[in-house]
Amino acid sequence: MRKYTAIVGLLLLSACTPRVEIMVPDKPITVNLNVKVDHEIRVRVDRELEQLFEQDKDLF
Amino acid sequence: MRWLIIMFAAVLSVSAWALDLQQAKQQGLVGEQLNGLVGVVRGGGEVTAVANDINRKRLSSYQDIAQRTGTSLTVVQSRAGQYNIERTQAGDYIQLADGSWRKK
Repeated sequence: MRKYTAIVGLLLLSACTPRVEIMVPDKPITVNLNVKVDHEIRVRVDRELEQLFEQDKDLF
Repeated sequence: MRWLIIMFAAVLSVSAWALDLQQAKQQGLVGEQLNGLVGVVRGGGEVTAVANDINRKRLSSYQDIAQRTGTSLTVVQSRAGQYNIERTQAGDYIQLADGSWRKK
């Protein structure tokens, strides 16, 4: 009886291992995150630049 | 009294520089570059002096913006360059990516 549970347990474990590998591709998430940060910075920089153009008209 | 004279002179010199930059642009002596700075298209020491003065002030403002927005000076310069070239009036010079000057 114990033998069977051990075998079933092993089978279950081995059956589970391939599933873990599905977790690996998390690269697209970081890429999306970078794009978002990049976009936010771009918006902030653009806003600051517009203010600068207004403030220091003689420089542009 | 001395302070008043100094302030007056400072204001006058600022407006003189401003006039020079617009004149220099219209006369085709300087143009806008992709790095957000003005470049000398043609002309001697005086044109270079005006361009250097403008660029020094621009760079310090760009640096401030980079710090405030938490990015690099390069990013700010490239955005400013795109803006400046978009805002350049027809007939004034802009610099292309290969370094050549072209009338907009």
